Amino acid sequence: MTQSLQPPRLRLQQFLMYGFLLLSALLSLFPFLWMVISSTNTTADINQGKFTIGSALLENIHKFATLVDLPLVFWNTAKIALLATGLTLLIASLAGYGFEVFRSRLRERVYQLLLLTMMIPFAALMIPLFTMMAKAGLLNTHWAVILPAIASVYIIFYFRQCTKAFPRELLDAARVDGVSEWKIFLFVYFPVMRSTYAAAFIITFMANWNNFLWPLIVLQSTEMKTINLVLSSLASAYFPDFGVVMVGTILATLPTVIVFFAMQKQFVQGMLGSVK
Amino acid sequence: MANIVMKNMVKQYDKAETIRNVSLEIENGEFVVFVGPSGCGKSTLLRMIAGLESISGGELYIDDQLMNHRAPSERGVAMVFQSYALYPHLNVAENMGFGLKMNGVDKQEIARRVTIAAKTLQMESLLDRKPKDMSGGQRQRVAIGRAIVRNPKVFLFDEPLSNLDAELRVEMRLQIAKLHHELGNTMVYVTHDQVEAMTLADKIVVLRSGQIEQIGSPLTLYHAPANLFVAGFIGSPKMNFLEGRFRSYQQGKATIELADGQLITLPARDIGLAAASPVTIGIRPEHIALTGDSSHFRIRFQSEVVERLGNATYLFGNSLGTSGFKIHIAGDRSVKLYEDLDLVIHTADCHLFDPQGIAFGIREVPAGDALS
Repeated sequence: MTQSLQPPRLRLQQFLMYGFLLLSALLSLFPFLWMVISSTNTTADINQGKFTIGSALLENIHKFATLVDLPLVFWNTAKIALLATGLTLLIASLAGYGFEVFRSRLRERVYQLLLLTMMIPFAALMIPLFTMMAKAGLLNTHWAVILPAIASVYIIFYFRQCTKAFPRELLDAARVDGVSEWKIFLFVYFPVMRSTYAAAFIITFMANWNNFLWPLIVLQSTEMKTINLVLSSLASAYFPDFGVVMVGTILATLPTVIVFFAMQKQFVQGMLGSVK
Repeated sequence: MANIVMKNMVKQYDKAETIRNVSLEIENGEFVVFVGPSGCGKSTLLRMIAGLESISGGELYIDDQLMNHRAPSERGVAMVFQSYALYPHLNVAENMGFGLKMNGVDKQEIARRVTIAAKTLQMESLLDRKPKDMSGGQRQRVAIGRAIVRNPKVFLFDEPLSNLDAELRVEMRLQIAKLHHELGNTMVYVTHDQVEAMTLADKIVVLRSGQIEQIGSPLTLYHAPANLFVAGFIGSPKMNFLEGRFRSYQQGKATIELADGQLITLPARDIGLAAASPVTIGIRPEHIALTGDSSHFRIRFQSEVVERLGNATYLFGNSLGTSGFKIHIAGDRSVKLYEDLDLVIHTADCHLFDPQGIAFGIREVPAGDALS
């Protein structure tokens, strides 16, 4: 039906819908736009609310590079994010697969208990977790950030739900073919569930990359810190240089943006629960 | 090749028994079909043979070896599934060789077996394709090929043609029959389609609610069904059932009174029925004619629906108080709606069932057909 043939009421509805979507898009994009523009301005300009491209970009980048050991900070953040993500996917996918494929009454009870733990706020877990890491001698190490992160009940739940859509005949066919359970998981389940893994990777990577509170608590020395902690300390200085902070924020945001856009298709497929 | 022996097999889920004391022997090289309505346990029984379901009670022997606690891969079976169960990320050759590869078989041996299976099923040109790029019939052939490469003792088919269209089903049925003829393996086939059962089987096992109702050759089940259930299940359209009363028994024949007062005499066993006991007379739609001689008896029929297919005519209506009465007439016949007709039936075509639904009529099965 062409535009001109649509009844006026439908056209009004479409106008309102697109108007709302445009407004939402602008509101979502505005902070990024502000960040990019502010990275080209001095603190004084930013404080005055300047919203045009400035000429201080190179100066801000130079200052940021001088203040922050960029390779070390990025390495710390990437190491934590990738290790935590990899281990989370490994453990959560095995757990989700196990809960769904090898059902029993006892396993259902364990699963329900795990789900209950999702209701416990992180604030309530911080102190016992801190005590555990201290007793284990892991404070001020990256493992203190990684280990608590890999026990993600949400990702176990996500994998279990996605495994419900996995065709059981493939498991039966593999078992009749004499394939062991481990090989079934590696060579049948994993390739078929690639989009699920991709979506879980994006969610988990972004969560670990952006993790702030727990690293703030357990990472004490400068050489251990992640990009978010470094940016936070720059922003909370007595005289913060917001232009420099914005440059740092852009650099901190880039990896997650790249990962998301690179794996967007798989993310959508994974969230829709589509199995190959 | 191998024989299969089941002794009092039971399958329980919690307290519910889905398979109840099933005992059955399948000979070497036999093509046996498990048939029955949905939920009768035929797929469960097949999966118990395959090792995909545990056996709650009884014993299963394949090739005279007890298999109750053996893994599926140790039973010498290969299975073809209803939904093909092809690995979507692998091409045809990889699908067929996957099990062998996972079990450490030499690459050259895998390639050799895949080539032979592909030739048998005329699939050489499809080896590089992925399942998503193939039709249903092609996928099913790949699934069969995957079973062939394992050189199993027994082939198990779980409703392999259910997802195919009618034309493809006929074609694949012929392929499976040809495969059995060529390979000679023992094959166990599950279907709810009685046409597949009748055309493929050496022996049919009719199941209902987890129990065997009858075991026999296709023609035995057609000509001499053991009870009302088998009689109604085998044959399309379904057998017609008329109510009657037992009157007397003499010299190998039972006299039955029909609802219109007619008395007919049918060969039967003497099972000690009391006079006036309710009995059921079964007549297949294709055994009813519109003309006949004095050796036939006649009943009144009113047609309600007429279906003219060109090569056959189906009439649906009422007769002797039984609604849903069906007649199959060869060729094209013009019959008016609500027309009253005299139907002609030969007593030799009648089936007789006692008040419990068990057949007690004496029926002839065509010569040369194995009766069990």
